Amino acid sequence: MTKFATVTSAAIAAGLLLVATSLSAAENITFWTLNFSSEAANKAFTAVVSDFEAANPGAEVTVVTRGTDDHKTAIRVAAGTDKGPDIYFMWAGLGLGGEYVKAGLSLPLDKYYADYKWDDEVVPAAGSFSRMYPGGRHGVPSSLSGEALYYNKSLFAKAGITSTPANYDELVADAEKLKAAGIPAIAFGGTVNWHVMRLMDVILEAKCGAEKHDALTAMTVKWTDEACVVQSFGELQKWGKNYILSPFMGIDDSQAFNLFLANRAAMMLEGDWLVQQLAEAGKIDDIDLFPFPTRTNRLYGFANYYYVSSKSKNPDLAAKFLDYLLSTPVQQKLLGVSGTTSINKNVTYGELRPMTKKWLDLFNTHDKVFLNGDQAFPLDITTEYFRVINEVVSGNMAPADAAAAMQTFITNKG
Amino acid sequence: MAERAILSNTRVQAALLLGPALVVYVVFAVFPMLDVIWLSFFKWNGLDPVKAYVGTANYVDVFTKDPVFWVAFRNTVIWTALSVAIPPMIGLALALGLNQPIFGRNSLRAIYYLPVIIASIAVATMWRWMYDPFFGLFGQILTSLGLQAWVPDWLGNRDIALYSAFGAYVWQSVGFSMVLFLAGLQGVNKSLVEAARIDGAGRWAVFRYVTLPALRTTLTIVLVLAIISSLKAFDIVYGLTGGGPAQSTQMLALWAFTQSMQIFDFGRGSAISVVLLAVTLAVVIPYMRWSQKREETAE
Repeated sequence: MTKFATVTSAAIAAGLLLVATSLSAAENITFWTLNFSSEAANKAFTAVVSDFEAANPGAEVTVVTRGTDDHKTAIRVAAGTDKGPDIYFMWAGLGLGGEYVKAGLSLPLDKYYADYKWDDEVVPAAGSFSRMYPGGRHGVPSSLSGEALYYNKSLFAKAGITSTPANYDELVADAEKLKAAGIPAIAFGGTVNWHVMRLMDVILEAKCGAEKHDALTAMTVKWTDEACVVQSFGELQKWGKNYILSPFMGIDDSQAFNLFLANRAAMMLEGDWLVQQLAEAGKIDDIDLFPFPTRTNRLYGFANYYYVSSKSKNPDLAAKFLDYLLSTPVQQKLLGVSGTTSINKNVTYGELRPMTKKWLDLFNTHDKVFLNGDQAFPLDITTEYFRVINEVVSGNMAPADAAAAMQTFITNKG
Repeated sequence: MAERAILSNTRVQAALLLGPALVVYVVFAVFPMLDVIWLSFFKWNGLDPVKAYVGTANYVDVFTKDPVFWVAFRNTVIWTALSVAIPPMIGLALALGLNQPIFGRNSLRAIYYLPVIIASIAVATMWRWMYDPFFGLFGQILTSLGLQAWVPDWLGNRDIALYSAFGAYVWQSVGFSMVLFLAGLQGVNKSLVEAARIDGAGRWAVFRYVTLPALRTTLTIVLVLAIISSLKAFDIVYGLTGGGPAQSTQMLALWAFTQSMQIFDFGRGSAISVVLLAVTLAVVIPYMRWSQKREETAE
């Protein structure tokens, strides 16, 4: 063998060794989430992933996005295999997210919360959901949504309402004033069950109080044993009969929103995402908002979360990526692209719309959130909850029968 | 030589031709069906690694504890009865009309058939807008006639929502029956019609005693297809009402889907599917046997 050949062989061997070493050091995680709401959000997230990979040589993050239903199905199919993601998107709460936690498919993140000090960065209300599961903290927030009553200022003025209600009784009194002025108080779309459900959720919170409401959704107390449940169904029926713009069971939430924009109803119980839609419709100056006056000092809403799979082969890298994603600089970059507000409490906001500012204040002043019913209940109970609510609000079921129907279903579930 | 002899055997030829289709049928139809029947005896949410055997508990729960199952069952029966009666009747009337030498006959046939080729979910979207109580076509018509107070909540009132959805289904499906009847009408012996007329038979008598008996096979096909498609009615109801309001327009197929793919109770969803399968077979097989016997007797 010539000297040249020896040197060449050694160089090739060294090269191969280097490649092999780098391959063995490479770590890969997959991240399953929903389709991004816009191309800008997609690009921004792709940039975040690239930056993370650049800052962590050898790390590779594969992002897979799907539509909502496809995502739910994919996660469920993957649950029985080892082909699932390392990090997955899911809603927070005992309903959808909780089901995966209960099935042992989410890794408790207590260690990472402590190591990375995520509580120092996350908005308290958004982070609070990670504590609601038994056996440790699960998931980190990706976004927080609040829901409140948007109201048409001129219609309120026309009905002689000069200030926003401080409690539920005052709200009903205002609805009565609106009715007297010939103005339907509120718009809902009944075909999407969760829209009218919001009214029942907030009435339950107002009538039963936070603790009992939580016990009812956790099904640790009987719906037939609590007088406030029948009262709440009674109130819901009253709203359906007197104050909701009718007919409403045959329209959806977007049709209800169009009616609200057309001044056909004075209020809507909607989320913070409505701000952008109101701005696009040129109606933002005509509308203001206030939280539903439950007087429990809890914000009504829900959160979207990222969970680390218990089957992840690289949980440390997954947590490291989540830490990067939650960090103030990254969240600052994503602000305005994937949401008007951030789940990171340290980001700074520039010039904000007054309504967005109001939402921000609501998020920062509430450290507790009560969940939408469809996020709080298991799926089968949610379906029955929808049915019962729709029957009551349409006047087809008596409030006492509604409480009994709910309890019977819960008891039968066992 | 031996190979040629084997291949010239008609049984072998039949097996070769049917084989691939049979494999596809077994893999994509028979196996899933058996799998659903098997799954109906288990409790499984798609997440647990093990499916828990529960015997007939899913069936017991569906029949005795499910507050929606019997509503869905009743709606499916109503929908099937209406589907067997109304679209075929309108389809037959249209076919008889469009079998006459009238101006624009081919265009009219195409127009009446057009809804059939539109996806059900698109039909549902169109009709949802027409049914909008505030801005929809029907509401606007009633309003322009001064009947604003009469505008119903087409899809939101539990007393009429099922029938509103059925209206959209009739619009979509009538063209299909029409085309089958038109094809059947081409087989009606013209000399028999002429002979009947010469014998003094009127229009009704010709229809009753010549045309209708000649359409017997077509009628059987139309009715069997109507029964099967209505028993598994899903997409148009899903798109129009989603089973609401308050599950009052639920159908068995939709409820099976809801249980399996939205609530993720695969055992219960499978049990409902098996019930639906049993109902379909219980209705279709006796009807087909009866009509087959009738045809054999007529021959």
